[in-house]
Amino acid sequence: MKRGVEQEYTEPGTEKQAGRHRKGMAAHRTARRKKKEQSEYFFDYSLLFVVLFLLGFGLVMIYSASSYTAFDSFGDTAYFLKKQLTAIIIGLVLMIVVANIPYHFWEHFYLLGYIVSALMIPLVLTPLGIASHGARRWIGIPNTGLNLQPAEVAKLGMILFLAVLVCKMGKSIRTMKGFAVMVAFPMPIVLEVYFLTSNLSSAIIILGISVLMVFVASPDYKKFVAMGLAVAAVAGLVVYLVVSGSDFFAFRGSRIQAWLDPESDPLDKGFQTLQGLYAIGSGGIWGKGLGQSMQKLNFLPESQNDMIFSIICEELGLFGAIAIILMFIMLLWRMMVIANNAPDLFGAMLVVGVMGHIGIQAILNIAVVTNTIPNTGISLPFISYGGSSVMFLLIEIGLVLSVAKRIQLKEI
Amino acid sequence: MLADNNKLFHRKKILVVFFVCAGLFVLLFGRLVYLCVWRAEHYSALATSLHERERSIKAARGRILDRNGVVLADNKTVCTVSVIYSQIENREQVIEVLCRELELSEEYVRKRVEKYSAMERVKSNVDKSVGDRIREYGLAGVKVDEDYKRYYPYDSLASKALGFTGGDNQGIIGLEVIYDTYLEGTPGQILTVTDAKGIEVESAGERRMEPVAGLDLRISMDLNIQSYATQLAAQALATKEADSVSIVVMNPQNGELLAMVNVPEFDLNNPYELPEGTPEGLSAEETQNLLNGIWRNGCINDTYEPGSTFKVITAAAGLEAGAVTLQSSFSCPGFIVVDDRKIRCHKIAGHGTQDFTHAMMNSCNPALITLGLRLGIDGYYDYFERFGLKKKTGVDLPGEAGTIMHRREDMGNVELATVAFGQSFQITPIQLLTTVSSIINGGRRITPHFGLQAVDREGNVTETFTYPVEEGIVSEQTSATMRGILEMVVSEGSGKNGKVEGFRVGGKTATSQTLPRGSGRYIASFIGFAPAEDPQVIAIAIVNNPQGVYYGGQVAAPIVRQLFENILPYLGVDGAGDVHGDENAQGGQADGQN
Repeated sequence: MKRGVEQEYTEPGTEKQAGRHRKGMAAHRTARRKKKEQSEYFFDYSLLFVVLFLLGFGLVMIYSASSYTAFDSFGDTAYFLKKQLTAIIIGLVLMIVVANIPYHFWEHFYLLGYIVSALMIPLVLTPLGIASHGARRWIGIPNTGLNLQPAEVAKLGMILFLAVLVCKMGKSIRTMKGFAVMVAFPMPIVLEVYFLTSNLSSAIIILGISVLMVFVASPDYKKFVAMGLAVAAVAGLVVYLVVSGSDFFAFRGSRIQAWLDPESDPLDKGFQTLQGLYAIGSGGIWGKGLGQSMQKLNFLPESQNDMIFSIICEELGLFGAIAIILMFIMLLWRMMVIANNAPDLFGAMLVVGVMGHIGIQAILNIAVVTNTIPNTGISLPFISYGGSSVMFLLIEIGLVLSVAKRIQLKEI
Repeated sequence: MLADNNKLFHRKKILVVFFVCAGLFVLLFGRLVYLCVWRAEHYSALATSLHERERSIKAARGRILDRNGVVLADNKTVCTVSVIYSQIENREQVIEVLCRELELSEEYVRKRVEKYSAMERVKSNVDKSVGDRIREYGLAGVKVDEDYKRYYPYDSLASKALGFTGGDNQGIIGLEVIYDTYLEGTPGQILTVTDAKGIEVESAGERRMEPVAGLDLRISMDLNIQSYATQLAAQALATKEADSVSIVVMNPQNGELLAMVNVPEFDLNNPYELPEGTPEGLSAEETQNLLNGIWRNGCINDTYEPGSTFKVITAAAGLEAGAVTLQSSFSCPGFIVVDDRKIRCHKIAGHGTQDFTHAMMNSCNPALITLGLRLGIDGYYDYFERFGLKKKTGVDLPGEAGTIMHRREDMGNVELATVAFGQSFQITPIQLLTTVSSIINGGRRITPHFGLQAVDREGNVTETFTYPVEEGIVSEQTSATMRGILEMVVSEGSGKNGKVEGFRVGGKTATSQTLPRGSGRYIASFIGFAPAEDPQVIAIAIVNNPQGVYYGGQVAAPIVRQLFENILPYLGVDGAGDVHGDENAQGGQADGQN
């Protein structure tokens, strides 16, 4: 009943909005801003604080987790710390810049973002591409010494593209055709990321962001519940096939085997997972104390990167882990508040995209580290070592802050 | 226009997204609680074993003490020198120093030093002084660990009985093997925390689990008797140019072995040293076979045809079965025909008519064959088994050989006749000694043994070993009769060279021809005990392949005589004809019957 009312209420509005031309939009906004010039605008200090906390915490943990191996490999305990700090500083500058640009400015680049993403990914296969950790996922920017992961660009590009697309489609999103269009657009990028860079986790994240944005944009629930059930059923079937010994899933299969029982293959597929579990288990409730991790002494691969959460657990215990999880929940809550109070659908969708990105990535990372899902390389947002990841995350936070700035305090 | 359509259902959906995410975080948190609380012990134990490298500390092996507490096997401190690849700073210097100090070839040391491993042992059993010198260089990556090396103060004394140990503190032969579990102790451990490459984490310190020293083993061997018996055996070996001489001395009442000599013995402190004159360039297998031959304990590991000493068993069986009395008369024409075979007596002219005592004194073959035939194949075989000759004695030394005997169904009269005077089958010397003991001690088959007690470092007895005794092998009456006969054998018969002035000694000689017959190789032996009326000590001497005179009465009996002349007073055995001796004897017999 209620939903019916709500639809009746919103429908005329969306229809009208979608019909209008873009030029009218600018005029309308100028009028709005003038009207509210005297009133106070919102700046989300809580969100900024949480992000800065996570970044600072991440730096401490990166130093703790990497200093031993950094000294071993580069003769400098702060090697990874310095690189990460540089990326964070650049990222913070970019964040401030983006936060101060009205977010509607980016509306014009939605197609460009999509095309750039689609073109950038194949570059990893050209001589510009850089292989590391056994996969070609990075491209080097000539003459800067900086590496860029096209998948990170694609995540940001997809958020912008879908936010604009949702607004453009308006009411038609409720039809089956509209839904199909929304799902069809991200697929080329997802497949590119998966097949060209063999980066399953980034593909899953991009797909997840897309589904989440479509979910929010469409008033329907049934389709999504059905989709969720279908995904769960397929996952269950795959696990069943692997357990029953079908050799159809040779590569991913052994990964799933190692997930179900990491101790069955402690030296190969189960190695990283098991080493992570050793770290979490030996940390216990109170942890060994900052800097006291044993697993970071070359035992746990990627200890400053994908597996940093297990080092946090080892050194700071269950309480360190709670602190991190609470910070992420708080971050998502702030973004929810901003999205719900965003002055328009475009702003809301942007924030939802960023929220989905950070939420999915953090959940998947912790799930991998605790061996709740099969191992796949996903970094922990803001905390894991990784320059391009943190830079793009900060740009996304900049977008969110920009949306937040448009919220009138009266409206909250 | 994109603005103003952020409607209610969007808000609800965003709320749903948030709560789903928060819910997933809570689930993951639950998973973390499970891992950190319920699985913490499991994973931290696994992690600790991953992080710790252990070095074991040898436990001090228990000593072996003779019956009077004299140390027969001890430990001395030696060093083990190892290198740790990842910690070595100056490789060339390490190689140079280790070559010089350990007197090893550069090639050997270089191989060890340059091998990429967590820890590589360069040399063990290094003298403590050398180890201390190497430690003083303070070379990074060179570890000198102290441990213990087995040390035998009397070198070759009782080598084949005591045995020796290997580099890992484990017994290789002899008592060291049998009592390994008591002697070895529990090794300790030094646990050091290392990173994934095996480099020690200095701040983590180390955990030590102290080793527990092994228990001392007190054995029944008497150093003085063993030494004297060794001297006698060595003397006989030299004068008779024999292949080997064995002497075993035992208390026939309880089976405690007082001495066990097998000359030539070997140096327990250098058990792998080959004798002089060994050809060069033997293969590893040939060397090992040679060493196994050198380490062999003839009293336990080898069987032989006992010959006339076995007549003691035939006589006891006959007396027990009532097939013969002391008054029974036997006639010996110098041979006896059994079925189609003519078996000669050692005295070709024959012993003529004689009573049973004299038949034994003469060691007359036809008389004993007659007795054997009277018992019959089954009767004789039953006694053979009842005396325990088909079983092993259960002596606490490794590798006891079993008896080689005809099967009951394969026995004919000829076989029976030859077995009756100790031929055509083989037993070990310890088996003969044990069986004769049980015949003369009142019919109790005792278990020969060395081990008496396990004693801790403070001298507290932690375990006293007990051994099975089988009663009623023969009656006390048969036993007393046998003692009388065997005393006569020594006082007036073939064993008179075993006579000891002032003591009543019983015994029996034997001269067995080794297989193949006609090779001119003999084994001369004598088994003797004293005092005859209440035996306190029994000894067997076996001279293998003596040159010149080869009769047991002339070669082996004097050895036991000389031994008894010295050890009987030493053991406080009462002299002959002493009234007290008789009383004691009766007392002893009464005890035996009880």
